[in-house]
Amino acid sequence: MIKKVFIFVLFFFITQNYYFNSYAVEPEEILTNKKQEILARKISKNIRCMVCQNESIDASSAPLAKDLRILIRNKIQEGKNSEEIYKFLTDRYGDFILLKPPLKIITFPLWFLPFFILIISIIYMFWPNKKSKKT
Amino acid sequence: MINIIGNFSLWLALCFSAFQFLNSLKKNNNSLIYLNKIAVNGLLICTLISFFSLMYGHIVSDFSLTNVFQNSHTTKPLLYKISGVWGNHEGSMLLWILILNIFNYFIFKLYNGKNLRFVSKILETQALIIFGFILFTAITSNPFELMQELNENGLGFNPILQDPALAIHPPLLYVGYVGFSAAFSISLAALTLEDNSIPWHTYMKPFVLAAWTFLTIGITFGSIWAYYELGWGGWWFWDPVENASFMPWLLGTALIHSLITVERKGILQSWVLLLSILAFLLSVIGTFLVRSGILTSVHTFALDPSRGIYILIFTAILASYSLFLFGLKLKKNPTNNYLSFFSKEGSILFNNILMVTVCFSVFLGTIYPLLIEAFTNNKISVGEPYFNATVVPIIIPAIIVMGVGPILSWGGVNKSKLFKKVFPAILSTLIMTFLTFMFYQSYSFVGLIGISLAFWIISNNIIMWFKKKEKLSIGMIISHLGVGFLILGITGSSVWQQEKIIKMKLKNEVKIKNYNIVFKEIDEIKGSNYLALRGNFYVYNEKRKLITILQPENRYYPITNNFTTEAAIDTNLIRDLYIVIGNGNINEGWTVRLYHNPLVMWIWFGAIVIFIGGIISTNNNLTKMKSLRK
Amino acid sequence: MNKKLLILPAIIFSSILLVFFYLLIIDRDPSGVPSALINKKIPKFETKSLLTEETFISSDLFNNEITLVNFFATWCKPCRDEHDNIKKLSNEGGLKIIGINYKDNNEKAIKWLKELGNPYTSVGIDKNGSIAIDWGVYGIPETFVVDSSGVIKYRHVGPITNKIYNKINMIVSAIK
Repeated sequence: MIKKVFIFVLFFFITQNYYFNSYAVEPEEILTNKKQEILARKISKNIRCMVCQNESIDASSAPLAKDLRILIRNKIQEGKNSEEIYKFLTDRYGDFILLKPPLKIITFPLWFLPFFILIISIIYMFWPNKKSKKT
Repeated sequence: MINIIGNFSLWLALCFSAFQFLNSLKKNNNSLIYLNKIAVNGLLICTLISFFSLMYGHIVSDFSLTNVFQNSHTTKPLLYKISGVWGNHEGSMLLWILILNIFNYFIFKLYNGKNLRFVSKILETQALIIFGFILFTAITSNPFELMQELNENGLGFNPILQDPALAIHPPLLYVGYVGFSAAFSISLAALTLEDNSIPWHTYMKPFVLAAWTFLTIGITFGSIWAYYELGWGGWWFWDPVENASFMPWLLGTALIHSLITVERKGILQSWVLLLSILAFLLSVIGTFLVRSGILTSVHTFALDPSRGIYILIFTAILASYSLFLFGLKLKKNPTNNYLSFFSKEGSILFNNILMVTVCFSVFLGTIYPLLIEAFTNNKISVGEPYFNATVVPIIIPAIIVMGVGPILSWGGVNKSKLFKKVFPAILSTLIMTFLTFMFYQSYSFVGLIGISLAFWIISNNIIMWFKKKEKLSIGMIISHLGVGFLILGITGSSVWQQEKIIKMKLKNEVKIKNYNIVFKEIDEIKGSNYLALRGNFYVYNEKRKLITILQPENRYYPITNNFTTEAAIDTNLIRDLYIVIGNGNINEGWTVRLYHNPLVMWIWFGAIVIFIGGIISTNNNLTKMKSLRK
Repeated sequence: MNKKLLILPAIIFSSILLVFFYLLIIDRDPSGVPSALINKKIPKFETKSLLTEETFISSDLFNNEITLVNFFATWCKPCRDEHDNIKKLSNEGGLKIIGINYKDNNEKAIKWLKELGNPYTSVGIDKNGSIAIDWGVYGIPETFVVDSSGVIKYRHVGPITNKIYNKINMIVSAIK
């Protein structure tokens, strides 16, 4: 049981570790430094296109999406890290622009409730405190 | 003329549904079946007439009907004129109603000498549901409204929706949703049952299986369309409408498994009754989210808050009625024993808990922005990163258990014997995973997890197949195999995708993976209702042999003033080669995007195999149900 | 199982439905996003002025009076639609309105204002859209209401219709 919990926590951190295909990035936007481009893709995947329905700026051909993609790459080249870039964008556009909801008190239920329900259910159903009757 | 026939039959159907409801309430047995026969047949005939009247209007391009004017055009090919009937809100409601009444007819056929009250109760609840949907359609979304003035032609139809996969996608999904309505009604009938000899689960299982099976293939065609048509390379976006179809599917998966424990061991009965209620309620809430205008999504139909209020009230009535009944009528089940984790019932329960948790995550993620908006001044987004982070970690243990669950015995297993049984599968998994990594020469942790899970399932099920134990259901083995293939495809295409985005002039060449692609020419072509710029890309392998010619297009539809890009895709079992042509001109060249997506075919192949397994199981359970007549 | 717990699904469901009902009946735009700059000081910027040769500095422009800031462009049809109401806000309302010309052609913009009338006390050029990004603009036209101490009090996305015109007047009166 504890092992299972540990594995869950571990898996929380391995969601993204590879180079994402982008379906809207233009050739002239792509940075020559591969590491920087990967970081740009990673951040862009998390930034919502404000004028589209539920797309990231990496997948949208809207002009604002392109502006933001270029802005992010400029900031990466200036040496800013992802936290600073996210702060820059949320200062102007609010938390709405993040596709991954930030961890704040108001989003605690969103992030922890499913996990909590899972643990409670498993413990309730499988904890050997009832009559142990092998049918 | 056609609108009078269509509208009249719709309102007449409403009367028949009220008649069925009132009739089924009666305790008097004498004419119950006969009167319900009139109601059920009347409903079916009326809705058939209504539906086909609308279809007739679309086929002959009768633009006096608002629905035809807004959604059709004379230049649309016939297939899409037909599918255009359900490609809009009003027409799709009519399709939903038709399928509801077809299922209603099948429920009526369940009457045998012994189950009068039971089936009547099912028909009573169904009548209530049918009444609600017809009333909604007739009043707020009537497809037979007339135009004030007659136009020569219609407003055309969105060109990206003119696709065969998309044409078939709604009818398949609706069979799924409606099937869950039948399970809902059976659940309520079971709750009010006085006669304990009626095996309500034997009646419920084929409906749940059919619903789940068609929901699976419906969702699959939606994804196939998105991948091949939209040019975004993706097939699942965690869009609210997609989530609305995924949630009932998850609960349906839980249901088809826990129904087995009800059948064989009589346990988890109240759980199954609750699940079947929730599955349908989620379908209706999904309908609400999509058609009320409360949120925006790529899929939403016309936005209209008044429709939303109606559906909300309808949902509230259904939910309070069913959940209240559930709380009230639930009988205390004597078996509340400890379940061992290492037993068949334990693994099924584990699966159920995980499916319900994932469903809860998806539900929470979908409505959370609305909750935040209602209670604070802020707005947040809950997008793909959230769903990937919460759903994927939970699916993984579910898949692990799924590999070994079918061979666990009821009541518990000997752990060392189990290990011996499972050892060949473990070995096979390790070998196949190793070979795959050698082939792709790309090492990633996520890829490792995905591939080993896929081969874990595939190995276990192939071994089960060859051992040919009669006890194991063939439908189950096939469906589980399908899941293995599906995971293989999902992992391969997510983890090992490659891209090349460059500007290409004519005669330029580019290399991706071990393919050489030459941009040979560009031409202008004319389609039935569009003009297009088409690129011709010659694809060569390492030995300079021509494999295929890919022709992506940029299309312009003059009627709707729409631009779309048509991706050109070469598919085989190993990989997809995907080319999209963007903007540009002869001097500077064009933006060309090339993608190499491995194992994509396995996603669709796996899903179709799941579907086939589902059909087989549905058929087997239908036979079981029919044998109740004797 | 405790019978009381069985009421739980019903309660949760009803609460969620109530929230949906509330959202349906209030006046809201499902695709609108509230500004992150409400009750914050205006973002500083410096650019060229459209109509004169001077530079256009934010600190010079907002001095102790209520100001409107309107992002517009000649290529944007809703901007054209709202132009009459903008003029009305300036003339009848007596409000000071600053225009920001977003990703536009200078000559076209000058001509546009000449032909349709110029309601702005001054117009700044935002050639590449960076000022707009600093203001959190995502869909022009957008109009901001700034109070006399330089704090943003309200933002409207989309054209100023007659209904919004009244709303802006109400907000301005409330600030005074």
